[in-house]
Amino acid sequence: MKFNKIFYWLFLVTVCFLIPLSQGFAQRDTWFGAATYQVSFPVGDTKEFTDATSFLGFGLDFRYTVQKSTTVGMAFGWNIFHERTTRTAELATENPGTITGTQDRYLNAFPIMANVHYYFGERKGIRPYVGLNAGGYYMLQRFAIGIVSLQNDRWEWGIAPEAGVIIPVDRELAIMVNGKYNYAFTGESALGTDIKHSYIGLNIGIVWQQ
Amino acid sequence: MNNNKIVHRTILLLAFLSLGFILVSCYPGETLTPADTDVVATFYKPDVDFSTKMTYAIPDSIARVDEDGNPISNPGQFDQQIINRIKQNLNGLGFTEEQNPANADVLVVAFITTTTWASGGCYSWWYGWWYPYPGMCYPVVYTYSTGTLLFAMTDPQNQSSSDAMWVAGINGILEDTSTGIATRLNNNIDQAFTQSPYLGEGK
Repeated sequence: MKFNKIFYWLFLVTVCFLIPLSQGFAQRDTWFGAATYQVSFPVGDTKEFTDATSFLGFGLDFRYTVQKSTTVGMAFGWNIFHERTTRTAELATENPGTITGTQDRYLNAFPIMANVHYYFGERKGIRPYVGLNAGGYYMLQRFAIGIVSLQNDRWEWGIAPEAGVIIPVDRELAIMVNGKYNYAFTGESALGTDIKHSYIGLNIGIVWQQ
Repeated sequence: MNNNKIVHRTILLLAFLSLGFILVSCYPGETLTPADTDVVATFYKPDVDFSTKMTYAIPDSIARVDEDGNPISNPGQFDQQIINRIKQNLNGLGFTEEQNPANADVLVVAFITTTTWASGGCYSWWYGWWYPYPGMCYPVVYTYSTGTLLFAMTDPQNQSSSDAMWVAGINGILEDTSTGIATRLNNNIDQAFTQSPYLGEGK
């Protein structure tokens, strides 16, 4: 139910932002938007928790051109990690514990970030860019074992450096390909251990432009 | 905005929404077999020096308790197998059995609780043993008739204390054929000791 609710909120955000999108990409004082499909590779502590590539992810970007080659904007996303494993897990309880059994480990990461991007190249041509996203992640973590499920839902502050390219298709449409390194500064796993989630996203999508 | 632009944008919006619905519908499922519900959990008190605990006593029967924690006089088919397997593991770790609990460093007690999980929720009594944060217990959707075997090390000189220095919980053992249960019991009891390397000479 929680996921459906989140999806409907994303739907509302999408509709609200897409309707006024009739401005040109990389023209000063205009908006453009992007929707991306995202494949994510867990690294670091996230890989310890769910050691499986995520093929379930999508993102929304809204960028406002403040200068000829610079945009500021917002980015939203949803990345789902899942692994079924029988690895032994340590529990950070008052009395330390260890648990073994078939486990379903889930991480739903919802990045919500403000960003700034700088674009290279000409306005109507292929435009590589670099950028930095800063904000946070709403992390839904679930550790299900046997008939018991432990859950930990938290907001974590973080950043996501990004590099990509926008390839024009026609006057109104472009393809966006980018990579993001998502990194949360803080965190706690569903098992109570301190972790810092991080994952690398490879994203491809469409850009609306005039 | 001309009609072409509206159509264009509508198609893109529908494509994006379709992707969202696909993501929701592809959310990984939770199908489990009875064996997948087996859980072996162990906990220990960090202030106990287990290297000084090398002798044990163990009752020759296994207590059974219902879901309210009341004892049931209902010996099980696998009780002796369970006791033997626990002894085998303890001896393998260098423990020596004492017949008189007063002479033992630890008293090992085993008990089984049986209950049917018709829907969500946590069985607080046993759950409290292995994860003492009831606030972290969330409803689950499986429906199983599930049994839990617990065996714990306690101080034979201080039986008034409810604190076990080590406890192992094995959940999910009552759903299988007899042969399956016997194998799973042995494997899971072995696993409880394998994942507790601080016990006995392993310290």
